[in-house]
Amino acid sequence: MSAVPAMSLPDFRPRRPQRERPVLRPAPERRRRPRLSYAVTALAGIAAIVIAQLLLSVAMTEGAYEIDGYKVTQVELGREAQVLREQIDALESPQFLAANAEAIGMVPNAAPVYLRLSDGAVLGLPTAAAGGAAAAAGTVANSQIAGVPLVTEQSAVETGGAVDAAVPAGTAPVSPASGGLPTPATH
Amino acid sequence: MRGTSRQTRRRIVASAVVLVAVVGVFLTRLVDIQVVRAEEYNAAAEDVRSSSETVYGPRGDIVDATGVVLADTVMRYDIVLSPKQARAGSFDRETPDPADPAKTVEVEVTTEQAAAELGSVLGMSGDQIVGTIDEYLAADPDSDFAYVTKLVDTETYERVRALDIPWVYTREHPSRRYPNGAVGGNLIGFVDPDGNSVAGLELAQDACLAGEDGEVSRLRSLRDWVTIPGSERVVKHARAGGTLKLTIDSDLQYSVQRTAEAQVEATGAEWATVTVMEVKTGRLVAVADVPTVDPNTPSAIDAENRGSRAFTAPFEPGSTFKALTAASVIDAGQADPTSQVVAPYRITPGNADINDSYVHGDERLTLTGVMIDSSNTGMSLFGERVSDEQRYQDMLDFGLGTESEVGFPAEAPGDLHGGPSVWAEDDQTKYATMFGQGLTTTAIQIASAYQTIANGGVRMPVSLVDGCVAEDGTVTQKPSTEGRAVISEQAAQQTSQMLERVYADGWLAKQWEIPGYRVAAKTGTAQVPDGQGGYQSGYLVSVSGFAPADDPQFVVSVSIMNPVKMNSSAASAPVFRDVMSQVLKKYRTVPSGAPAPELPATW
Repeated sequence: MSAVPAMSLPDFRPRRPQRERPVLRPAPERRRRPRLSYAVTALAGIAAIVIAQLLLSVAMTEGAYEIDGYKVTQVELGREAQVLREQIDALESPQFLAANAEAIGMVPNAAPVYLRLSDGAVLGLPTAAAGGAAAAAGTVANSQIAGVPLVTEQSAVETGGAVDAAVPAGTAPVSPASGGLPTPATH
Repeated sequence: MRGTSRQTRRRIVASAVVLVAVVGVFLTRLVDIQVVRAEEYNAAAEDVRSSSETVYGPRGDIVDATGVVLADTVMRYDIVLSPKQARAGSFDRETPDPADPAKTVEVEVTTEQAAAELGSVLGMSGDQIVGTIDEYLAADPDSDFAYVTKLVDTETYERVRALDIPWVYTREHPSRRYPNGAVGGNLIGFVDPDGNSVAGLELAQDACLAGEDGEVSRLRSLRDWVTIPGSERVVKHARAGGTLKLTIDSDLQYSVQRTAEAQVEATGAEWATVTVMEVKTGRLVAVADVPTVDPNTPSAIDAENRGSRAFTAPFEPGSTFKALTAASVIDAGQADPTSQVVAPYRITPGNADINDSYVHGDERLTLTGVMIDSSNTGMSLFGERVSDEQRYQDMLDFGLGTESEVGFPAEAPGDLHGGPSVWAEDDQTKYATMFGQGLTTTAIQIASAYQTIANGGVRMPVSLVDGCVAEDGTVTQKPSTEGRAVISEQAAQQTSQMLERVYADGWLAKQWEIPGYRVAAKTGTAQVPDGQGGYQSGYLVSVSGFAPADDPQFVVSVSIMNPVKMNSSAASAPVFRDVMSQVLKKYRTVPSGAPAPELPATW
């Protein structure tokens, strides 16, 4: 079929002027060569971010261990503080103070007397204190001070020496004031 | 060629349908996981990766008027072991090499050895602990949890930790501590080992004191359990309980308790209460109850002694009540301190039969004399001058018959024996209520009535709590400062003067003297109902009074139940003296030096 020469058939179709047909096509682009610097900048940026994040993460991890260490220390110190607080509270309790006061020979006086400094007036009737019932008997329980020695039961080392070795041991123990008030050593 | 194309098209369609179906299934699953059940999965993931920890919202402190801590919350520890792991065999422990201290060697420790070590730290025997392990394993061979002991202190906890036994664990357990022991123990109350309030202000003020535990979750590294930074998330904020401030002064409270305790021991009494109240404000500065509970170890005394009898144990007040009747009579304008009666040993008005505590002839007494001699007949003759309705109303106004403003747990209202309508049918009750029998009051109510007389007839609301300071600093429960006039100022003053004569001329004048001070006081030796309509053989002896009488500052009210070795108010007088002098000393109340007014006792 295709071997028949084309010429043998007359072309009856009117020829359209093909050239004059308008054709839409994109305007020719002014293509520029991509600049290398952009790529370098972008890649460098990414690398910087990655490195920064890596460093940050390393720092944070390190910080985490540091924080953890401090937290452990904090918990331990908190425990220590609580133990000391408990000891102080027990020593501050009125039972312990009163027991110590009595151990060194003090007794309560049922007759309060006041000395008015402005004119030297004595208010109230001075009466010698008798070691009454209140001084001798009656206990108010406190399981918190069980086993804590009174000041008179402690050795000189515990009262003075342990706190400040420079204080001579002789001044530390308090003895009952039998022959009047002891003269203070300070001037 | 046409047939092939149709087949192809069919295949294409079929593939497309399958493709769409598969994509649809995936999409559904995606939506299901990412949207519908996202929360559930997130939570599950969080559970696996994160650990949540309790942040303790500690129970609030109870402090006294000067800020001394009476109760606070401390961390204690429970010691727990795993029976299964304990019986799994011995373990190796690294100990310093005796040959070269710089190195460590592994020493094998058997279960028995470890139990013995643990026991010596906890004050138990090793056999006890091994017994616990075997007991739990006998019940359940997979048993993984058993308490060895609860609530050990920090020192013991650290020693247990130092043992480094792999099958022994510790758990935090916040606990309550009372650093001042039994000081105010009956008022403060206590909590049970699980932290639930049981008695006293711990119970009454639970709403103020209770904290709320919070929760924080954080991600941890698997290897060394270090918190991953930025992963902390507060699930629930912890809230600390409020600080409860009392009107009590702990030093004074101690001193008062001690005085009361000593006298209970000396006289063989069943119990005693001592109440100290500020006259101008109605604040309770000390309320001692003997026997006293140490809230650290409440089980050390019987359950009936763990409350505060000053609030919860009503009693027939006896002669201390005569001051109230006298105040009523004077306020009604029916008598004054010098009004006169003839008081015989016995009178029988209506069906009543009233007699005095000792036999005497007819005595020509003034109202002051009736108070000094504590004459029941004389007081009845004055008391009947006022209508029962008026007397009853005055009693109510003095604060009797209802619980005080404190609202202590199990506080008793007292019993006024019905009131005038009931008294009218029973002459004995009508007259007995004039001298403090046939009705009951609490120690707090009597102290409050004396406060009214001392404060010019104005009763101040009784307060024990000075406020609740919340975590954010807001203060609630401030006590009211509005007083109520019960009797006229003149009636109060005249009653006060008569009580001063009782103090100066009464039979206990020597026992309760506080040199230099003007004091107003009245004793009572009341019979105690035996619960079957009669009276017991023992007495409740009491003293109530205030000082300085010329400018009253403090009320002290002492009640001692059945002091078998000294069954009279002589047992309570030294307590009154010691407590009152301590109070005056404590608050630097200076005596004026003015003489007490003279009032005739007889005519």
